[in-house]
Amino acid sequence: MKNLKLIIVSILLLMGGMLNVNAQDANDILKKMDDVMYSPKDMTGKTKIVLIDKNDKEKTREANIIQKGNDKRIFRFTKPASQAGIAFLSLPDDVMYLYMPAFGKERRISSSVKSQNFAGTDFSYDDMESKLYSEKYTPKLLESEGDVYVLELTPLSQKSSYSKLIVKIHKTNYYPTLMEYYDRGNKKIKIAVYNFIKVGSYWNAEEIFMTDLKKNHKTKMIMSDVKYDQGLSDDEFTVRKLKQ
Amino acid sequence: MNKLSNSIIKLKWPIVIVVTLLTAFLGYQIKDLKIDSDIISSLPDDDPAALLYKNIGKEFGGNDMGMIIIETDDVFQEDVIGYVKQITDTLRITEGVSTVTSLTNVLDIKGSDWGIEIGTLLDEYDLPDSRDELISLKERVFSKDMYKGTLVSEDGTSTLIMFTLLDGVDKQVVARNIKSKISELDIPEKLYFGGLPFMMNDIADLIISDIVRLIPITFFLIALILFLAFKTTRGVVLPMLTAALSVIWVLGTMVLFGFELSMISNITPIILLAVGSAYTIHVLNRINATIDTDRKQALIKAMAYITIPVILAALTTMIGFVSFVFGAYLEIIRDFGVFTALGVIYALLLSIFFVPAIISALSMYRNAKKVKRENKKKHTFLNDTILFPLNNLLHKHPKHTLSVWGLIMLLSIGGIFLIEREVNMAEYFKKGNPTRVTEDIMQEKFGGSQPVFVVFEGDIQSPYVLKMMIKTENYMKEFSAIDRTQSIADLVEEMNDVMEEGKRIPDEKNKIENLWFLLDGQDIMPQLVSDDLDRAIIQSKFASTDSKVLNDFVVYMDDFVEKNSTEECKIEVTGMPSVYSQLDKSLINSQMSSLIIAIIMVLLIVGLMMRSLIKGVFAAIPIIATISILFGFMGITGIPLDIATVLVASVALGIGIDYSIHIITHFNHVYKETGDLDKAMEETIMVSGKAIVINVLSVAAGFLVLVFSEMVPLQNFGLLVAMSMIGSGLGALTLLPVILILYYRRIEKSNFNTHK
Repeated sequence: MKNLKLIIVSILLLMGGMLNVNAQDANDILKKMDDVMYSPKDMTGKTKIVLIDKNDKEKTREANIIQKGNDKRIFRFTKPASQAGIAFLSLPDDVMYLYMPAFGKERRISSSVKSQNFAGTDFSYDDMESKLYSEKYTPKLLESEGDVYVLELTPLSQKSSYSKLIVKIHKTNYYPTLMEYYDRGNKKIKIAVYNFIKVGSYWNAEEIFMTDLKKNHKTKMIMSDVKYDQGLSDDEFTVRKLKQ
Repeated sequence: MNKLSNSIIKLKWPIVIVVTLLTAFLGYQIKDLKIDSDIISSLPDDDPAALLYKNIGKEFGGNDMGMIIIETDDVFQEDVIGYVKQITDTLRITEGVSTVTSLTNVLDIKGSDWGIEIGTLLDEYDLPDSRDELISLKERVFSKDMYKGTLVSEDGTSTLIMFTLLDGVDKQVVARNIKSKISELDIPEKLYFGGLPFMMNDIADLIISDIVRLIPITFFLIALILFLAFKTTRGVVLPMLTAALSVIWVLGTMVLFGFELSMISNITPIILLAVGSAYTIHVLNRINATIDTDRKQALIKAMAYITIPVILAALTTMIGFVSFVFGAYLEIIRDFGVFTALGVIYALLLSIFFVPAIISALSMYRNAKKVKRENKKKHTFLNDTILFPLNNLLHKHPKHTLSVWGLIMLLSIGGIFLIEREVNMAEYFKKGNPTRVTEDIMQEKFGGSQPVFVVFEGDIQSPYVLKMMIKTENYMKEFSAIDRTQSIADLVEEMNDVMEEGKRIPDEKNKIENLWFLLDGQDIMPQLVSDDLDRAIIQSKFASTDSKVLNDFVVYMDDFVEKNSTEECKIEVTGMPSVYSQLDKSLINSQMSSLIIAIIMVLLIVGLMMRSLIKGVFAAIPIIATISILFGFMGITGIPLDIATVLVASVALGIGIDYSIHIITHFNHVYKETGDLDKAMEETIMVSGKAIVINVLSVAAGFLVLVFSEMVPLQNFGLLVAMSMIGSGLGALTLLPVILILYYRRIEKSNFNTHK
């Protein structure tokens, strides 16, 4: 009897140890992914947003992006003409400003609901937020298949509209190739397919293709003219600059 | 005719085999029979308002809107808000649900000193729990039209959770799923389920329950009456068999041609059981009455005699049903008319081919001696208590009888002017039915549930169109039955307000385009404006179900559209008031046209058959009198004309005329042979009268079963047809003979005078 207990205890310990190893690994992998995605000091570029509805009808928007670190960013729309000049400034701690050229005014905006979609795309404010994944999720390594690791990410915040994310991360370069989003009913609701290319010394998500499985609506975000580490100053990310 | 009868008997086995195979084949199809409870889809495409309503529903998702109401003493309590969130979350993750809107997740645009807050009314992860928070929530809710009376009733006791369904899902399955998931939440408040998905679910349940409960009752009742009348197994089995086969064939044919059972055609089986058995009854009756030592010859003789009258009887009945095809507004009524008429054809074919075939195939002949004995038997309950006294009455007091009928008719014609019409679908459910209860709550607390849509076509982002929308909304709200309206223009005004430029539509298009940026991608947008920004709608609800108010509103809006709709901004109005108003108009038209078609066709057929128009008119008098009484009865008792009761007059005409035909042909036959008016009438009453009494009883009993239906119009339909059957039977047995007696007495008198 004593032996049996001993055996069980050792098995449990062993399993715990394994879990620990697993957690270590998963954390490691996720941190490496964060490094790849968020390591540039700053970035400028152009983005083309293609919205595809369920009848495959497309609408295109274009914007210039400048970004510093993870938490300062300006999105300035250039196309279509009706939205040209509308600009969006994100600052740390969820502070956001919107500039409307037709009014010549900026307003601070707060979106209390992170699950709302950003400007008609299939990306929610939550998805657009460039907060480190390792700070938002607890990872678990599900498997290692071919050239990717498959991680399951569970949100730390109770407020997340997702129950989990399944992420595939490239084994050698550590960029994500695929993310699947599950709703609170544990149903897959969105899929993002990533395509990374090397720009200078960084990996850049040249294309993100997001599909909303429920609405059968798709968004393609294509980056171009990407330049890194040009020494952008904090002054570029002020309300005054937003209005210019 | 003898030839036909001979070949039927020769081909008895092939006929029996073909019928068996066909029944097996068509019966097998029934497994795929579906129930169509989607009332919206039955709206006709050739009515512009109905077509627009269907399309708007599809384009903006309004037709698939469902709602759950929580009724409590005060919505603004911590636990009630918690239940709203529970239901909202459950709906959100239910398969087939597209969007959910409730207190806990509804879009809210707040302007403040420091900027705009776009978000939800409540933070769903930090729901209000203190008294202060709940009070300020209440103030906020009651300060905005978007919430007050829309999401929370004005008395603060009920709140709505609305949802839309994804395209192409099975609405009934989703509705059922939602109901079971919500009931698992064990919410201790009163919940109501409303909207089309739930209503369809309810209707489908009612249709199934009607079929499952009523068909066996009808079957049993008619079988019982047949047994009492014929007192033989054959007399029960053969009529019921042909009726049952015709039901199976019709349902199978419906499946083959891709039709579904609707809330009207679900009574087709019951009607066919009642009507379809009649033809076999006539056939059997004639076979029984035919005396011949060679039983096979008796059968052939009987068939030769009865085939034509039975075809005529079926033909007139068919006309009654087919007459709906031309005047009906709803497709379900047209389909009902066509398939019931088809069922009548099936029953007819089975009666004249299958019945003699199976009798000779199975040697179900009756003993000739027994037949003779039975035919001699004169003293029966029916003869002594009804037919003899009736015959005496007719001969002694023809004028009094006529006056009594005249008096009743006069009363009825007065009643006709009191007839009401009912088009509101909620009234079709019995009191206490969940759908009806929910409708009542919606009516009482949320300004009704009947959607009204005003569609705008043009550049929706132009100040002109948006201002026109606001103008339209203000105009609509001046009408008593419209409480509140919602549109993209309201949202633009609100956004403009938070940009500190006032609650109005900006004069510059580029400002509108800028404001649009924040609205893009919000869940509510697809419900208000098309993707291409060329169409937008005002959504509203209509608070009255009164036909007059509905019609007034249609006129009121038409006037506005005429004055304001332009190339640049095309305006159209649709919604339940428009549809109901059309349905209301169509009830009268449909009633008139189907009745006129039926009367003309019947007069023609009977006149041709008798080779005398005056006799055709005589035959029609009892049934026309009955129909007047029917309408008078509806007027006096307050049974309204609705999608089902509008069918009664033509059905009654088609079936009821048969009784007159029997009386007139029989009378003619004997009067020609004997020239004795009294004797001819006596024989007619004693022989054909008997058949009519049995026939009326069995058909009326069949229709009366519908009184147990779950749907009010079907209850009324059953009651009224049964009443009309009795009325037209009585008419054929009293009014018609009296007319014939008086008519022939005059002829005899004038003949006598001229001979002198």
